[in-house]
Amino acid sequence: MANIAAKRVKREIKEVMKSEEIMGGAFKLELINNSWTELQGEITGPPDTPYESGKFLLEIKVPETYPFNPPKIRFITKIWHPNVSSVTGAICLDILKDQWAAALTLRTVLLSIQALLSEAEPDDPQDAVVARQYKEYPSIFAMTATHWTNVYAEGKKAIVDYNRRVQVLLEMGVEEHQARVALSTHNWNLEVATEELFS
Amino acid sequence: MIFLFTKQCPLSHTFPPESKRTNKMSAESDMEYSDNDGDDYDYYGEQDDCDMETVDRTKADPEYFLYSCLRVEEVEKLLNESIELLSNSLQITPSLAKVTLHAYEWNAQEIINKYKENANEVLVYSRVKSRVALGQAGSSRASCAVCASTPHLPKYSALACGHYFCNDCWSMHFEVQIKQGVSNTIQCMAQDCEVIAPEDFVLSHVTKPTLRERYQQFMFKDHVKSHPQLRFCPGPNCQWIFQAWAREGARRVECRGCELLTCFSCGAPHHAPTDCATIRRWLTKCADDSETANYISAHTKDCPKCQICIEKNGGCNHMQCGACRHDFCWVCLGDWKTHGSEYYECSRYKEDPNLANDSQHAQAREALKKYLHYYERWENHARSLKLEEQTLANLKRRINQKVMAGQGTWIDWQYLWDAARLLKRCRYTLQYTYPFAYYMEIGPRKELFEYQQAQLEAEIENLSWKVERAETTHRGDLENQMDIAEKRRTTLLKDFLEFNTKSISGSSKV
Ligand SMILES: [Zn+2]
Ligand SMILES: [Zn+2]
Ligand SMILES: [Zn+2]
Ligand SMILES: [Zn+2]
Ligand SMILES: [Zn+2]
Ligand SMILES: [Zn+2]
Repeated sequence: MANIAAKRVKREIKEVMKSEEIMGGAFKLELINNSWTELQGEITGPPDTPYESGKFLLEIKVPETYPFNPPKIRFITKIWHPNVSSVTGAICLDILKDQWAAALTLRTVLLSIQALLSEAEPDDPQDAVVARQYKEYPSIFAMTATHWTNVYAEGKKAIVDYNRRVQVLLEMGVEEHQARVALSTHNWNLEVATEELFS
Repeated sequence: MIFLFTKQCPLSHTFPPESKRTNKMSAESDMEYSDNDGDDYDYYGEQDDCDMETVDRTKADPEYFLYSCLRVEEVEKLLNESIELLSNSLQITPSLAKVTLHAYEWNAQEIINKYKENANEVLVYSRVKSRVALGQAGSSRASCAVCASTPHLPKYSALACGHYFCNDCWSMHFEVQIKQGVSNTIQCMAQDCEVIAPEDFVLSHVTKPTLRERYQQFMFKDHVKSHPQLRFCPGPNCQWIFQAWAREGARRVECRGCELLTCFSCGAPHHAPTDCATIRRWLTKCADDSETANYISAHTKDCPKCQICIEKNGGCNHMQCGACRHDFCWVCLGDWKTHGSEYYECSRYKEDPNLANDSQHAQAREALKKYLHYYERWENHARSLKLEEQTLANLKRRINQKVMAGQGTWIDWQYLWDAARLLKRCRYTLQYTYPFAYYMEIGPRKELFEYQQAQLEAEIENLSWKVERAETTHRGDLENQMDIAEKRRTTLLKDFLEFNTKSISGSSKV
């Protein structure tokens, strides 16, 4: 069985290599070790989304029983998205769970994750906090996601006001990521975030 | 085989005169089976079936529910009958009939009717066929999309959707799915294809005998679970299966194997008078709050009068201190004398009427206090039930000793055994009155309920006290107490069990 898994992964990497030119570098796929069980993927944030121009790294683990069972994939790069855990990077995507089919490939999975960045599914959330913001304060959500893309994924667009607020907390001695999480969670309300951090 | 009834039952004269004819006919069959009637004799030796009062009591039992308890082979036969019926009337393979029955919750008649109207729709709904037309679906047989190999043409196969994959891949796909416990719903390997692989297709690709066996076992379990008239006995390692025709309200079924009482509707332990949704809420709450409630489960308490440590070793809540002879209640530690009166205060929780004015903190504390009040009694009866298991075992031993010593036969002591069994039944119902009361709104109906609950509580403790001291209790006295306790139990169930009260119009709901 492991035999098929290795054979499939080899072929799939080739397939992505070929498609890379076509996609204009929309994603990458490379081996981490030579056992064909661990790979690293990279997807580029789709244009006209808060993730535009961001580079997002993915951890891909291929099980022994691949392709009869789905690969295990999570974001390594921190991302603010309703279907991705802002803490662990776990992804909520049907084809990685019960909708997996043996005929699916890593390429189709990466394309689906990219599509998820273009169109979130807040009704099937992985991160409840993010999902609520997405629904209730869509403009704050968009700015927060842009900010995270800028800070963690080399996104080009900076949100100056948010950087300033993180800075305020940094000067109070709060760790940077912790400060960002607190502010993002509380819709960038400095007072509430401070209260939570110091209570 | 009514003849055996009439032959042995002292109450035979109550049967209608036609039994004469039965008698004559059965005399022949009696001869026929005379060499192997050892089993029959034992069965009728049980007495119960001859006891007209027992028969009447079953009819009057407010929890009465028609069901049967079946063996695996009997259920297999039952399922096969449906499969055969469908496969014959629609002219489809038994494998396809299984997929369809599973999809339509084993309603063969519905399938037959719908199939006559629109056969295609039935097959699509059952996921035997793809909704997409065959021409659009399907795939080539040049190479296998799963393993990227290019085997020869005859080594490919496909389901009705026309998605061809190599046979090696199908085998591995099925192996992985079966090992994960999937059986009836193994899907095609193509992307977005929901077509299900029927049994014959799966088995034609699975050769390992252990795997085939596991597949068929999972399939059977899945069939029972999807069948609205069947339910596995939830007892540990129990193989019996219940069959019944109603699936709402608290419905008592008793396992022939492990004697566990289960609610047929929801699969939880039987819970009358509490309804299914409420018992689920209660059990979840108890699981969540188990930490808080833990301190209660101590098996020892101090005597409220002389403070000596007393261990509870029987099911009875009427405690007598071995040191000072003080009679007290295990649950509330109150004097037992106050419990003997007609209004048994111990089971009733008195809510503070000024509650609404209190601070949030006080309200939370009050809520916990209220919960603990009910939980403590619930838990205590559960523990008493376990202890009474021992009482029952002891009693059996004692009766056996008496019989061995020539002090009468088992029949003479049967009443003791019956009393202990009745006690168990009463306490079981009593335990399940506490979640019911906990969720009841304050009002006259709750007052009535708690009044009846208190009465039942008192009579059960009386009975428990008498059963534990059975040798010194007068038989008539004990039998009288049995009657009172059971009457209290049935009255409460008649008044509050959901499917009994449903038939009564809104007038009873105050
Ligand atoms: Zn193949
Ligand atoms: Zn298919
Ligand atoms: Zn059982
Ligand atoms: Zn139930
Ligand atoms: Zn004492
Ligand atoms: Zn008491």
